[in-house]
Amino acid sequence: MKRHILYILENDFRNFFRYKWWLVGLISMNLADLFIMAIVYNRMLNPEIAKQIKSYFDFFAPGLTVTGLFASAFMIGREVNMEKRAEYHQYLLSLPLTRLELAFGRVLSGGLRGMMYMSPLLLTCFAFVGFPTLIQLPIILSVLFFLATGISGLSIAIAVSTRSIDKFVTARGLIYYLLFFCSSVFYPSSLIEQLGREGKFPMLLVQFARINPLSNAADLIRSFLLGTPPFSPEMVFSVLIFSAVFTSMAAFAYIKLIERA
Amino acid sequence: MVIMRAIWFVSQIAFFGLIASRMVVMEDYFRFYVSGLSVMTLYSAAIFIGFDIYEEAEHGVFEYLLSLPVSRRQLVLGRSIGGGLRAFIYVGPLMCIALYVVGITNPLNFLVALFALFLFAFGVSGLSITLAVVIKSSDRFDILMGVLDALIVRLSTAMYPLSFVKEANPFYGWIANFNPVTYASELFRWGVGIESALSFRNPLLPLLGIVLFFSFFIFLGIMLYERTIEGGGWR
Repeated sequence: MKRHILYILENDFRNFFRYKWWLVGLISMNLADLFIMAIVYNRMLNPEIAKQIKSYFDFFAPGLTVTGLFASAFMIGREVNMEKRAEYHQYLLSLPLTRLELAFGRVLSGGLRGMMYMSPLLLTCFAFVGFPTLIQLPIILSVLFFLATGISGLSIAIAVSTRSIDKFVTARGLIYYLLFFCSSVFYPSSLIEQLGREGKFPMLLVQFARINPLSNAADLIRSFLLGTPPFSPEMVFSVLIFSAVFTSMAAFAYIKLIERA
Repeated sequence: MVIMRAIWFVSQIAFFGLIASRMVVMEDYFRFYVSGLSVMTLYSAAIFIGFDIYEEAEHGVFEYLLSLPVSRRQLVLGRSIGGGLRAFIYVGPLMCIALYVVGITNPLNFLVALFALFLFAFGVSGLSITLAVVIKSSDRFDILMGVLDALIVRLSTAMYPLSFVKEANPFYGWIANFNPVTYASELFRWGVGIESALSFRNPLLPLLGIVLFFSFFIFLGIMLYERTIEGGGWR
């Protein structure tokens, strides 16, 4: 089983490196966000917020790492959708692999590719914000890995359940922006909660931001590197639940829907 | 693309604009941001004409266009204006949402700003055509456009006032001073009446900047188009 999954990983990694220049472009955009946008916002911070987060650059660096991980882990969905439209999945189904190996391999490779893309961003974050302890580092890496696998699963589930690229792109856009903007990636969650209390933001979205795995993963890194917000096991559980749900859902959807396509 | 841009635009207003306005010290940041967002969206829509050039080259439409009884100059000018107008059609409904949020205090100023935005969109299309003709590889073009988009938008006053950009890093401020996205954003804000954070006291200066940007890229586009496309040189 392990060998079969390794073949799928190899195939997906080869595909990933076909987009190497595109990835370089994406990384430079992420770095522009950090070294230009975050530095300017640092100067614009409201004194009340500055007391909470101290520096926007330090606050944003972990958030950026998580957004990079999200964008790259989501790429596998686009490939799966393209394969389905080009009927390449028929070839994959004909391989001497079980459906479970195929599905699990795809989800896993999406997650690992996300980790690979994210690593320079995480290193930049460590270099500028601070290094975690030897106990914190494996926790950060494991949480990010589970997050990447969950995201990969989510994108595969969407890819196999949408027939056209337009529908996939629209669904992806909706999920992207909801998860990105309704999270604590760009701003502290206290601001979202404050807007919710004032009635300017629906409480449903406030709740969503609280359980959003992107918020929890970014806050986990912040809690270790910056000490704020304080660490809570909820941060880890939220990501683990998200990952378990979407990995199993994606495997199930991939096995069922790809055979029907 | 239209749906994606619309989702992006609305989420930027409803989430980022609303929440970030509480995060920053600047008063009325929400209106400031929404107006800058309109210019950012117009810029990314106008850039798309370059991708069409690659698609046309792949499908042989390029040869057809070259065989038409129009001069190369007319072709570039027409494509730049067409790209700009198309971007306006894409962005029009989104801009209406932005105008509803921001409001207009002086319709005459707004008309001047709208004219400047048309020139800006034509200029960006000219820039996109120029780069597409020079680069000749759709992958490289895609990457360059991504990087350029990241830099040109972030090093402008589309998201933040010039004073803060200068304070953060004088070099960033210096670039933002000569950035066409800055000129377009400043003129749009002047046109809708958000004058508190304007970096140019005289609106003629950014207008002049946009006219120069438009003329430069149209001229360069025509020159490069004429030089590189004859005899299949664009391949």
